[in-house]
Amino acid sequence: MSRQHRRKHRFKLRSFYVWHRYMGISAALLTLVIAVTGVLLNHTEDFNFDSRHVRSDWILDWYGISAPQDMHSFPVGDRSITLMGEHLYLDRREIEGSYRQLSGAVQKNDMFVVAVSDSILLLTQRGELIDRLQRSDGIPAGIVQIGTDMHDAVIVQTSLDYYQPDADFLHWTRRDKVPVGMRWATPGLLNPRLKSALQNHFRGEVLPVERVLLDLHSGRFFGRLGPWVFDAAALLLILLSLTGTWIWLKRRR
Amino acid sequence: MLKRLALLILLLPVYTGSLARGTYQEPDAFLAETFAGTTPEPAVIWLTGKRKDAVKRLLGHRYPSLRIRYWQRGQRSAWILEEIGKDQPITTGVAINAGRLEKIRVLVFRESRGEEVRHPFFTDQFRDARLDDKGKLDRTIDGISGATLSVRAMKKLARLALYLDAETRKQHVTPAP
Repeated sequence: MSRQHRRKHRFKLRSFYVWHRYMGISAALLTLVIAVTGVLLNHTEDFNFDSRHVRSDWILDWYGISAPQDMHSFPVGDRSITLMGEHLYLDRREIEGSYRQLSGAVQKNDMFVVAVSDSILLLTQRGELIDRLQRSDGIPAGIVQIGTDMHDAVIVQTSLDYYQPDADFLHWTRRDKVPVGMRWATPGLLNPRLKSALQNHFRGEVLPVERVLLDLHSGRFFGRLGPWVFDAAALLLILLSLTGTWIWLKRRR
Repeated sequence: MLKRLALLILLLPVYTGSLARGTYQEPDAFLAETFAGTTPEPAVIWLTGKRKDAVKRLLGHRYPSLRIRYWQRGQRSAWILEEIGKDQPITTGVAINAGRLEKIRVLVFRESRGEEVRHPFFTDQFRDARLDDKGKLDRTIDGISGATLSVRAMKKLARLALYLDAETRKQHVTPAP
C-alpha cells in the first residue's frame, strides 16, 4: 500500500470516527430516556405505576387535563356532598366507587344518607361507606329527591310515590299520603376553596404514572413529532452499532 | 380472506372478554334457591372493632362497607359478597350450613378474564369446607391457570363468609356499635 493510499485510508477512518462520535452524542439523551423508562416499565407492578397517579401541575397541564367545572353539591349541615365527574366527595374526602346523578343528601343521626346513581349510600361522619343499597336491596327505582319529614324520618320521592325506610334501611315502605313538613335536600353553591381543592384532587386521580412512562418511552409525550424523533434515535443506535463495529475492525487491521 | 382472518384474530380477545362478563344468577334467585323459595328477612353484621381487623386480615384489605347483609334460618346462612379479582368486583353468593360451606356461586362477573371460577369443577372444591384454627380453609383449592386473581378472590370470599357466619352465632350482631 502506497503512502498516499495509507493517508487517504486514515483520513477516511477518522472522518468515520467523527461521524460515529456525533451520532453517539445525538442519540445519548434519547437513549437515556428510552433505557430508564424501559427499566421502569418492566417493574410497573412492583412500583404500582398503574395505580399511582401524576399530581404535577405542569404535566397535567401538558396533557390538557382539567377538572370539570360542573359540580353538583348538596350542603348537609356544615358539610357538603359533591359529585364531580364520577367522583363523589364528602367535603374533601372521596367516597369509593364511581357515581352519577346525585339526587340529594340528608343527615340521619350520625349518618349521611345520599341518593346517587339509583342507589342509597349510608356514610359515617368520616366518609366511610356503611352500605350501598341498590335496587336488589329493595330501594325504590327512580329516586327524584330525598329529604326528612317533620319526625326526622328519611323519605325519598320517586316520580310516582314517596317511600320511607325502616331504622336499619333494610325495608322500604310506600307512604300512602304525601308526607307533611318535608325538608327536601336542595343543591347549594360550593365554597370556592373547597371547589378548588376538589378540582385539584380530581386532576390528580386521572393520569396514571404508567401512561406517562409509556408516552416518554415511545416519544408521544413530546407531541406529534415525538415518535419520529425517537425513531430517528433508534436509527442512530443501529448506525452506531454498525459504525462502531466497522471502526473496530479497521483499527485491528 | 386473509384480512377477515386477521380481523377475527384481532377481535377474538375482545369477544372472549365480553363473553366472560355477565350476570349468571340474580342475588334474589340465589337466596330463593338456598332457602327453598322462602327467603328469610335480612339481618346485618357490622364490621367494626376486632371484627374489622379480622376481615382485613382475611382479605388483605378492608371490606368496602362497614356492614354486610345476610340471611339466616336455623343453621343455614347466605351471604352476597364482593371482592375484586383484578379490576372489578366479583359478586358471589355463599351458603353456609352448620359452619360448613354448602355452596359458593359466582352471581355477577365483571372482569374480562377468569370467569372459569363460576364452573362447578371449581366451585365444588369448596363444598363442606370450613375454617381451621388459623382462619384458613381446611383444604387445598386447586387453581385455574389464567384465572389466578379470580381464584384468589373466591377463596377470600369463602373464608370471609365462614368467618362471618361463625361471628353471627357468637352474639347479637344487628345493632350498630
